[in-house]
Amino acid sequence: MTGHNDAVPTGGTPDQPDLAGGLRTLRTVIDSRLAASLNSCVHCGLCAESCHYYLATGDPKAQPAFKVGLVQSVFKRYQTISGRLFPALTGARDFDRGTTDEWIDSLFGLCSMCSRCTLNCTVGLDITRIVRAGRTTLAAMKLVPSELQTTVDTGVQSGNNMGISKQEWLDTAEWLNEELQQELASDSILLPIDRSEVNVLYAVNPREVKFFPMSLMAAARIFYAAGESWTFSADYYDVTNYGLFSGDNKAAALMSGRLQDALRKLKCRTLLLGECGHGYAANRWEAPEWFAATPEFQITSIVSLIADYIKQGRIKLNPSRNTKRVTLHDPCNLVRMGGVIEDQRFILNRAVTDFVEMYPNREHNFCCGGGGGQLSMTRFARRRIEAGKIKAEQIRKTGAKVVATPCHNCVDQLSELNKEYKLGVEIKTIAEIVSDALILT
Amino acid sequence: MAQIEINGAKLELNDEGFLTDPSQWNKEVAAFLAKAEEGLETLTDEHWSVINFIREHYLQNNLAPMVRSICKTTGLPLRRIYELFPSGPAKGACKLAGLPKPDGCV
Repeated sequence: MTGHNDAVPTGGTPDQPDLAGGLRTLRTVIDSRLAASLNSCVHCGLCAESCHYYLATGDPKAQPAFKVGLVQSVFKRYQTISGRLFPALTGARDFDRGTTDEWIDSLFGLCSMCSRCTLNCTVGLDITRIVRAGRTTLAAMKLVPSELQTTVDTGVQSGNNMGISKQEWLDTAEWLNEELQQELASDSILLPIDRSEVNVLYAVNPREVKFFPMSLMAAARIFYAAGESWTFSADYYDVTNYGLFSGDNKAAALMSGRLQDALRKLKCRTLLLGECGHGYAANRWEAPEWFAATPEFQITSIVSLIADYIKQGRIKLNPSRNTKRVTLHDPCNLVRMGGVIEDQRFILNRAVTDFVEMYPNREHNFCCGGGGGQLSMTRFARRRIEAGKIKAEQIRKTGAKVVATPCHNCVDQLSELNKEYKLGVEIKTIAEIVSDALILT
Repeated sequence: MAQIEINGAKLELNDEGFLTDPSQWNKEVAAFLAKAEEGLETLTDEHWSVINFIREHYLQNNLAPMVRSICKTTGLPLRRIYELFPSGPAKGACKLAGLPKPDGCV
């Protein structure tokens, strides 16, 4: 289950971190490719202009090259001959408490791991990987900010990141099923649980189950219209994976593995990932690396499935039900990292009457500011709201009344930006917009 | 961190506007947060039925309730919850009920 780039377990506590153990982890996670990256940064500064934190604040510590430098200087000190012999001359730096404090502040507190800098790096460094290597090193020393760590721990211990009990989940699904049956005058099971040998196992964000179930009903309506055979799992349905952000590969693999096991147990054909950017990146692209194995089933995003339904004529939409101007926010992990770029546009062009792009868009889009675990880390909340100014300005320029985004994490950050910057927009998921336009016969 | 003062009592809010110490909550605090955080000038009986249930559930279980329980207990339809609390059940209603911020993507 564990891969080559895991954290090396250490002793120590957050107050007395095991710095030597942290260095062992750093040596493990900086493989030869990353080591080459670390030595190639020429500090040209172009990455600064790509970072929403830097653009919004002008803080030099927000520059991606500065973050690379933090990791680079420690790597040099212990892993290069010149750094070991002449640290002062080579910019090499001791790994001490002052250094770890700076790492936490910068690698966790000034980065949403959106990868826009990676895309724009002139020499092709994978800056996000370097930041994550730093986070993995901090995770090994138990130095992940406690709010983020709690979210990971809750996911590992309870099976979902909000600590929803199995009974609460089953009760909620039953309640939504009844509401939908009434609405559609149907006595079929419309939110099925633990059905086996169906096409789709659907994984969602626990915040939908706990606080925002309208999007679950929207998806169920779409599946009903398309005649899909699908199910939820009673045990594991959480598409999120905060281990991706804390840097803890072991926890990340455990959580991702549970979804895969749930699918195998129910003998479904497709693991369908709900509207969650990092859940897509983790389960679609990172999991095969964590397991060093390609899964034997299909893993796809609900956005791509809905686009297929439209192309195949399985659902019909009436765009005149959505006449307000709609713009689209591209979640970094689904779009820039995940490669799901055109499906959401194909859908919106058929589900609403007035769809406009914000600029820049697609893989060049700016992060909303909520990624990388930022939403969970209250101590850095003011920074993410300030950095979100870039996104708020992008939205305002479109004149849109609705911002569509296929990611619940983005929905939450965009809702806060809406309030802070008085944008006067509604934030909706793709499924919600499609559901509103659905022609049910 | 922000300091506020209500009826002479000094309270602390975290950077997301949640009460740092949930035990300091009372109805005046809820009314203050309603105005400051949600732009609500007055809290109606519907608001209070939601806030009071969330508060009781939290004191018993140390957790925010599911929105299903909120609807079942108060008799309010799901859509109404989002109309009553513009920031939603978590950053709206739970905040006004003095709960700490829930884990997850909220």
